[in-house]
Amino acid sequence: MSGIATAVDITLNSLVLGGVFLIVAVGLNIIYGLSRVMNLAHGSLYAIGAYTGYTIVSLGVNFFVALLLAPIIVGIIGLIIERIVIAPMRKRSMIYTLILTYGLMFFLDGLIKYVWGNEPRFVAIPAFMRETISIFGTHYPVFRLTTLVTTAAVMIGLMLFLNKTRIGMILKAASTIPEMVSCLGFNMNYIHIGAFILGCALAGVAGIVAGPLTTIDPLMGHEMLISSFVVIVIGGLGSLRGAVFAALLIGLVQTLAEFFITDLAMVIVYMMMAVILAFMPRGLFGEGKFE
Amino acid sequence: MSGSPSMPDSHTSLSPLKLIGLVVLFIALALLPFVWGNRFYISLITEIMIYGLLAMSLDVLLGYTGLLSFMHNAYLGIGAYVVGLFLIHVSPTSLWLACLVGVVFTGLVALPVGWIQVRTGGLAFALLTLAFGMMFYTIVWKWYGLTGGDDGLMGVPSPDIQLFGWSVGNTGNPAHMYLLTLFVVAIALILTRRIISSPFGAVLEAIRENEERAAFVGINVRRYKLFGWMLACVLAGTAGALYILCKGYIGPVTMSAFAGAGVLMMVLLGGLGTLWGPIVGAGIFIYIQDYISTMTEHWEIFLGIVVIFLVLFMPTGFVGLGNFFKRLRKD
Repeated sequence: MSGIATAVDITLNSLVLGGVFLIVAVGLNIIYGLSRVMNLAHGSLYAIGAYTGYTIVSLGVNFFVALLLAPIIVGIIGLIIERIVIAPMRKRSMIYTLILTYGLMFFLDGLIKYVWGNEPRFVAIPAFMRETISIFGTHYPVFRLTTLVTTAAVMIGLMLFLNKTRIGMILKAASTIPEMVSCLGFNMNYIHIGAFILGCALAGVAGIVAGPLTTIDPLMGHEMLISSFVVIVIGGLGSLRGAVFAALLIGLVQTLAEFFITDLAMVIVYMMMAVILAFMPRGLFGEGKFE
Repeated sequence: MSGSPSMPDSHTSLSPLKLIGLVVLFIALALLPFVWGNRFYISLITEIMIYGLLAMSLDVLLGYTGLLSFMHNAYLGIGAYVVGLFLIHVSPTSLWLACLVGVVFTGLVALPVGWIQVRTGGLAFALLTLAFGMMFYTIVWKWYGLTGGDDGLMGVPSPDIQLFGWSVGNTGNPAHMYLLTLFVVAIALILTRRIISSPFGAVLEAIRENEERAAFVGINVRRYKLFGWMLACVLAGTAGALYILCKGYIGPVTMSAFAGAGVLMMVLLGGLGTLWGPIVGAGIFIYIQDYISTMTEHWEIFLGIVVIFLVLFMPTGFVGLGNFFKRLRKD
């Protein structure tokens, strides 16, 4: 491969990876911003998204239908989780909520292993997506481009939803001054539930979109959870543009690190996070809302 | 400075009766291996004490300073690996030097990590402990040449326990290891209790109760959080040194997030902010783990359910439950 082809390859790969990080991280950010819950089970929901996608596709359903169905299923799981364990924790200290979602993570991981087993799975993608197209001399797989387009579409859709629709505006207002929104007659309870479902559905989207990129295994959620932490901590908790920049940055650094050194790639990412936080403790734009 | 009702203070001075009770308990524990020859249970109790020390060190962080560390076991792992590597590669006989090196090295690793963590605030602190913990786990897991990777560190020699020039035992002997662990854990408990009841401990609790107010009174919050973190990590490193001496082996599983959740559960089971509670919690947890893991392979599901149950219904652990009944009786 020529130098340009390699560069294009690396750029596209880092955009694909960064896009997946971004969707997971934004889901975490939305739940945190509206309910002040840091959901440690988010990575497991992402894995469940990938696994349900796998199951739906292997039942013979079209991949794009699965792309719609998986987030809905994960959203419903989110609703159940919210009602049973998150809602009773509203008034409790954040540390307890963190530990609770940590327990939830192990529960869901155990459930995944119980239902789907330990062996890695592969999503059967449609035939046309398995081909490659030539971009500046590199033969790039179509399904990776599909992933890129899907993540971009989801992010643009989310932006439009938050900025242009009435419900989106209420959500944004509720993340800034919940008391005021509550006083205006909106039921904060529904807002919390809605935020949790939205965040979980986003994790589900990321899961099924990322499914074909890698093998699906029970540990995929852990890696994604840690990566999305790195993204939201570097970007600043609750900062949307911070998350966008951080996700693309981490995507690029991880792709580069995996290209040059394979085994310890994640260590490079953690090191970079440490350096950034040492000088910018509130994230890239200084917008982090840490409590 | 009174703690909130959910986190009872333990550092009111001991009554003479309690003191005598504790001394009797200590002597009874010290005599145990001489009257009860079952090596398996002696080793199990040694492990419980080691994990108790680790859980206690997490309690210093979580119960007293209000900082959450998801992967405190990472620092036990670092201490254990360093002691093991020192015994294998440098000197197979110098026990105390190896332990010193292990604990100091753990502190040296924890210092920059803690420095970065305390700069970011409470929630990000917790997230970062997870990220750094996973980093250490990845390093230990992938650095095959040094750590043995997945296979773990094997063939760690068991040195003699030298005291003032005399050899009083060997760490390979379960009974001797039990006594060594008992003494170290007792000393660590007494020292930590002294530190926690000092003005320094009061500052930590002030930070836990209200960080902003503590800062307004002129406390350098970040520095004290770092001190609390260092104390917890050095104690965890000590537990690590005991761990490798007791087991003679350590694998990356000991440093995984899963094991980290176990330590957190020990603290929650025993009760936050009590120091000795987590040691009891470690006993309960290790016993249950020993029991359930023989029953089912889906032990993760049970761990998850127990954690959720504990947080929802029993946030102050068994000690808290005891205090609750005490209050009930008084009323």
